[in-house]
Amino acid sequence: MAITTLWDAAYTLATGLLWLVGRIIPPLAGPLANGDLIWGLSALVFGAILLGASMINTIMLIWFERKLLGRFMDRRGAMHVGYAGLLQNFADGLKLFRKNTFKPREADNLGFYSGPTAYMVTSLLMFGVLPISSGWSDGSLPLSMLLALVIFSFAPLFIFISAWSSNNKYSLMGGMRSAAQMIAYEVPILLAVVAVVLVSGSFDLNTIVAEQQNYWFWGPLLLAMLVFSIGMLAEMERIPFDLPEAEAELVEGWNTEYGGMLFAYFMLADYLRALAGSILIVLLFLGGWTLPTYVPSILTSFPLAGIFWFLLKTYAVFGVFVWVRASLPRVRTDQLLRIGWMRMIPLSLVAVLLAAALVLVKCLPVFGCIPSMGG
Amino acid sequence: MSEMWINMGPQHPMTHGLWNLRVHIDGERILDVDPEMGYLHRGIEKISEDRHYNEVITLMDRTCYVAGMAWEHLYVQAAEQALGVQPPERADWIRMMSDEFQRLASHIMWYAAFVQDLGLMSPFLYGMRDRDLILDLFQSYTGGRLTYEYMRVGGVRNDLPEGFTGRARQVLDWMEPRLVEYDRLCMGSDIFRRRCDDLGVLKADECVRLGVTGPMLRSAGSKRDIRKDRPYSRYAQVEFDVATADSADVTGRYLVRMEEMRQSIRIVRQALDWLDSHPGPVLADRLPRWLGAPYAPIGREAYLLKRNYPKGVGLSAVEEPHGEACAYVVNEGGEHPYRVKFRSPVFANLSAAKSYLVGYHVADIPPIMGSVDVCVGEVDR
Repeated sequence: MAITTLWDAAYTLATGLLWLVGRIIPPLAGPLANGDLIWGLSALVFGAILLGASMINTIMLIWFERKLLGRFMDRRGAMHVGYAGLLQNFADGLKLFRKNTFKPREADNLGFYSGPTAYMVTSLLMFGVLPISSGWSDGSLPLSMLLALVIFSFAPLFIFISAWSSNNKYSLMGGMRSAAQMIAYEVPILLAVVAVVLVSGSFDLNTIVAEQQNYWFWGPLLLAMLVFSIGMLAEMERIPFDLPEAEAELVEGWNTEYGGMLFAYFMLADYLRALAGSILIVLLFLGGWTLPTYVPSILTSFPLAGIFWFLLKTYAVFGVFVWVRASLPRVRTDQLLRIGWMRMIPLSLVAVLLAAALVLVKCLPVFGCIPSMGG
Repeated sequence: MSEMWINMGPQHPMTHGLWNLRVHIDGERILDVDPEMGYLHRGIEKISEDRHYNEVITLMDRTCYVAGMAWEHLYVQAAEQALGVQPPERADWIRMMSDEFQRLASHIMWYAAFVQDLGLMSPFLYGMRDRDLILDLFQSYTGGRLTYEYMRVGGVRNDLPEGFTGRARQVLDWMEPRLVEYDRLCMGSDIFRRRCDDLGVLKADECVRLGVTGPMLRSAGSKRDIRKDRPYSRYAQVEFDVATADSADVTGRYLVRMEEMRQSIRIVRQALDWLDSHPGPVLADRLPRWLGAPYAPIGREAYLLKRNYPKGVGLSAVEEPHGEACAYVVNEGGEHPYRVKFRSPVFANLSAAKSYLVGYHVADIPPIMGSVDVCVGEVDR
C-alpha cells in the first residue's frame, strides 16, 4: 500500500517488524499475526516517531535561539562542539545527565520529583495532537486544537506544585507569579482562538489549516494573531514576560532548587512549550504546511515539502520571539497582570467581534473567500 | 502569602558582589530592608599600615575593582600631601585622563549590569564589548587591565607609549555613537520607562542627610561635584559640565551617568590635546629615598627614618565614578603610613537602602540597587 501518512508508515514498520520476528522464530508467526498486536505496536512506533521528532526539534530550537541571540548580541553563540556548535546542546544535556540530582532536606518528596516529570510529560503530550504536515496525524480528533490548549494550560499547576514543594521562598514566589501570569493570559489566548474557530468553523487543526487555502488567517485576523502571540509569549515565560524566573530578583524563580536532570526536564519542557506555541501560531494564522496557491508548484511538490515549509515557518515565528527577547527588558508583575486583564482581554474581545463580522460578510475584497463559506 | 523575610544575598544575582540585602516582604511589597555588608572585608586600611607608601597602591586597585584608577589617584594624592611631595604636571594630566577613562569604563560596566538586571540582555554584551576597548588602552600604558598599579607617590610609573593619544582618540570616536545607541535601547523603550520612572526616589535633602553622593545626589538636582567644587588634579583647567537630573529616581540616575560619560569623553579629549603638546617627566625627582627602595629599611636605618623624616597628614577627596571618595593618610615618620582611612561612597549609598527601597515591589529591587551602582570591594574595603 502507498504510504501517505505517518500512521501508515508506523503501521508498515510494525507489521514488518512482527513479520521479521515471525520469520526468525517460526512458532511465533501465528500468534504474532494478530490485528490488535499490530495495532498496538504501530501505536508505539507512532509515539516513538513523534517523541523523536519533537525532541530533536526542541534541541535544534535551543541551538537556533543560542545562535540567533548570539548574533543579536554581536557574538557568535555556541561554536565549539560540532559544526557551528550544533552538538553543544547534546553536550550540555549529557553534562546535566551526569550531574547528581539533589533535593533540599525540607523539600516534599512527592511534589519535588513529580512536578518536573509531569511538566515534561504534559509538554510532550501536546505533540500528539499537533500536526506538522498533512497526514502527520490521522485527523481523527475533531477537537484537537482544544485538546492542545488544554494540555498547554496544565503547566501552571505542575510549576506551582514543584515550586511549593521545593520549600524555598524564591521558588514559592516564582510559582505564585507563574500561576497568576498563566491564568491571566489563558483568557485572551482562548478568546483569540475563538476568533479563528468562528472563521474556520472547526476545532480540528487539520480543518483549520485546510480553511486557509485561499488566504492565511493572519491578514483578516491580525488582531487575534497579535493577542495570541503576546499571550503565547507570556505562557512560554519568555522575556519580556519571564517574571516567574526573573533571575535578577528571584535567582531562578520556581526552579531555583532544581539541578541536574530535573532542571534539564524544566529546560526541555520550556522549549517544548515554546516549540508548541510557535507551531500553534503557524497552524492557526500562518497557513500551517500550505503555501499560497499562486506560488509555483515546484515549491510544494518535492518530497516532504509540507514538513519543510512548516518547520521553516515555525522557526521564523520562534525567531521573532528571540528577537523580542534580545531587545526588550522585563516588565513588572503588576504591570504584566494589568496588561493581561485590562488590555489583552478587551483586545481579544474586539478580535472576536471582528471575526464575527468576517463570518457575516463571508468574503473579503482583497483576500477572497474561505472555502467553507461558499468560496 | 503572609509577611516574610528573605535574604537577597550574599550569593544572589542582584547583589553584584558579596553582600546581603534582607528584605521584609508582604507578597510582592517591600515593608523593610536591612542591608548587611562586610562579607568582603579584607582589612585594607589595616594592611596599609604595614606597607610602604607605594605598596599601598596595589591594594587600591583591589578596593574598587571597576574603578582602580580613581582609587589609586585618591590615595596617591593624600600620600603626596602627607609626605610633602609634588607630582610633575604631566603626571597630573595623565592621572586625570586615567580617571576619566576609568569613569567611562566603570559607567559602561554599570550600564551593562543595570540593564541585565532589567532583563535586557543584548546591551549587557554591547557594554562589555565597548568597555574592553578602554581596558585595552589601559593595558597599553599600564600593563594591567583591571589592577593597574600605575600611579606612584610623586607621579606615575611610566609615560604614555608611542601613538597612545591617537589610539585613545580612535576609541573615543567609537564610543560616542555607542552612547547614543545605548540611550536609544533604554530611553527608547516604553517598558524601560515604565520600569524605572518614579522608582527608588531619594530627594536631595535626604541624600545630604544620609551622606549619599555621586550620581545619586546629582540625579536629585544637586550640582555637587568635587571636580567642580574643590578641583583637584587638573580639573580646573578643563571644561566640562556637571550632569544633573531632577527626577531623583532610577531614570534620573541613568540619565546622569549617561551624561557623565559624554562629559568624560570631553575631558579626555582635552587631556589628550594637552598631553600631545607637553612632553616632560612623569615622576618627581625629589622623592624620599626609600619610596623607590626594593627593601624595607630595618634596624638603625628605620629608626633614623622614623625620627628624622618630616611628619604630616594628607587628606584628599576624589569624585570617584560611584560618588565622593575620601582618603586620610597620617605620616608619623618612617616608611609606612601610620594610619590610612578611606571613605567609601558606596558604603553610604548602600546604607541608605531603607530610604529608597521601602514601599516598592520585590521586582523593583534589582533596578533600584542597580542604579546605586554597588561595588562591594570599596564598601567593605
